[in-house]
Amino acid sequence: MKFLQRLSIPLVAGALVALPVFWAYPVGLPAARAAGIVLGWVGCGLLLSSLLLMLREIRLTEWFGGLERMYAWHHVLGTLAYLVLLVHPLAFAIDAGRYSTHQAWAALSPWQQQWPVWLGWAALLGLMVGLSAAFSRRLGYSVWRWLHGLLALAVLFGFAHLILLGLSGQILLTALLAVLLLLWRVVRTDCGLAARPFMVDRVETEANGVVEISLRPLAQTLDAQPGQFAMFAFFDGPDFHGCREYHPYTISAVDPDGRLRVGVKALGDCTRRLQSLRPGVAARVQGPYGNFLQDHGDRPQLWVAGGIGITPFMAVLRAGSMTGPVYLRYFYRDPADAAYVDELQTLEGRLSMFDLRIQVGEPDPAALAEALPGAEVLAGCACYLCGPPGLLSSAMAILASRAVPRDDIHYEHFDFR
Amino acid sequence: MMRGLFILGTALFWMGVLSVRVADRGGEIVPDTTAPVAETRYSLAQIAPHSTPEDCWMAINGKVYDLSAYLPDHPSRPNIIAPWCGKEASEAYRTKTRGRPHSEEADLLLGTYLIGVFDAGVPAPPGQ
Repeated sequence: MKFLQRLSIPLVAGALVALPVFWAYPVGLPAARAAGIVLGWVGCGLLLSSLLLMLREIRLTEWFGGLERMYAWHHVLGTLAYLVLLVHPLAFAIDAGRYSTHQAWAALSPWQQQWPVWLGWAALLGLMVGLSAAFSRRLGYSVWRWLHGLLALAVLFGFAHLILLGLSGQILLTALLAVLLLLWRVVRTDCGLAARPFMVDRVETEANGVVEISLRPLAQTLDAQPGQFAMFAFFDGPDFHGCREYHPYTISAVDPDGRLRVGVKALGDCTRRLQSLRPGVAARVQGPYGNFLQDHGDRPQLWVAGGIGITPFMAVLRAGSMTGPVYLRYFYRDPADAAYVDELQTLEGRLSMFDLRIQVGEPDPAALAEALPGAEVLAGCACYLCGPPGLLSSAMAILASRAVPRDDIHYEHFDFR
Repeated sequence: MMRGLFILGTALFWMGVLSVRVADRGGEIVPDTTAPVAETRYSLAQIAPHSTPEDCWMAINGKVYDLSAYLPDHPSRPNIIAPWCGKEASEAYRTKTRGRPHSEEADLLLGTYLIGVFDAGVPAPPGQ
């Protein structure tokens, strides 16, 4: 990643925090009171940064180093905002404690105050409940997502709290910015305005619990490079009701007529439903995102694929865009899981610089070590890994032991929640 | 790690809130209403010269207060409260100019700055 890309998110977050703090910096106030005010503004700036990073715009992902990186920072900045805002009311209580402990409690307790403070408490409690849900590992995705939306409501209460406190002037621009960011996200992403309409054209069963879906564009198609992914939402059609949620799937082919193909494995509620998808179902697609398998030039490449992780490599092979030797190692547990194997074997026969090895069976470190090329072959290779976390970490350990630099190992894992 | 920080932060927050609640021994602020102070009468002409943030008197609800020491602690920007120094500020105090009254705690705190009674009809002493 370029240096400026690496700095981009911290710089923007720093600016969004520094601006309101300097603009509204309290002068001549007791320390605890000043701290309370400053912490409120720090929390505000961190929340705005977190909101910015939930916008799924392609240009933003290019500036900020990818969608996964944006989501990781969104989580970190959102949590930091919450932690800072927890101290905010306590600082005011400490300040009021200079008069008496009675005053300290009066400053804190909502039932001795009015609307501005009630809204502040509502915002803080909303963040608390929303983040508890966000960190919960046991909630189903639909419930989790709905509760995550509660955080947006908490943020709105927080900015209403600011407005009712009587703050005016340019500082109100922060509230306007928050509302704009939320509206942008809801309209463009959640309501799908930024998505393009497609229709399911063909559905083929590739393996046990794996279908390959071909989608025909109803308007403009995606300008996707092999290795990229997009967010797909499937709606309704004859005999099918999609879950209407956007999920990331790797594009396994971009056909000349603009059709997109994706390979989908049944790993959750939505993907299980997709196994019975039929042609004629409406879909909306946002993207493309990601830079997996880009920027390797003519270098030899090692591809390690586990299970459905074969899909980005299929996109490159089908596009015929290999520029150097490729060593593909494809692992799956059961013969019934064999997706795209026939096609891969045909391609092996046809392409000269393509070295394919398929390994079937339970994960086995020794078999993995044996299947991966030795250090002399790996020298100068760009390594790309796509599969379950266990395979990725084992493979990375073996590659590191064979002197492959960390910068030459790239991996793709969909972990947005 | 974020999850751990969230849990730790939330727990510490509630412990802080609980500590403040428990520390509240119900000690009320008792305004010092000793007779000499309560008896001194001030007119608007006598209050008016004390109209700067460093020397700030106000007439509120029939009483007069010296708020000079309190002004930096007032929870708003200085330009909200300072214009009322040296003036009759009952309406402003009752509504904060937004239709919202001050809290009971504010009423009690105000009482500690009492210096006398407001007399709308007392003529200024000669020579003032």
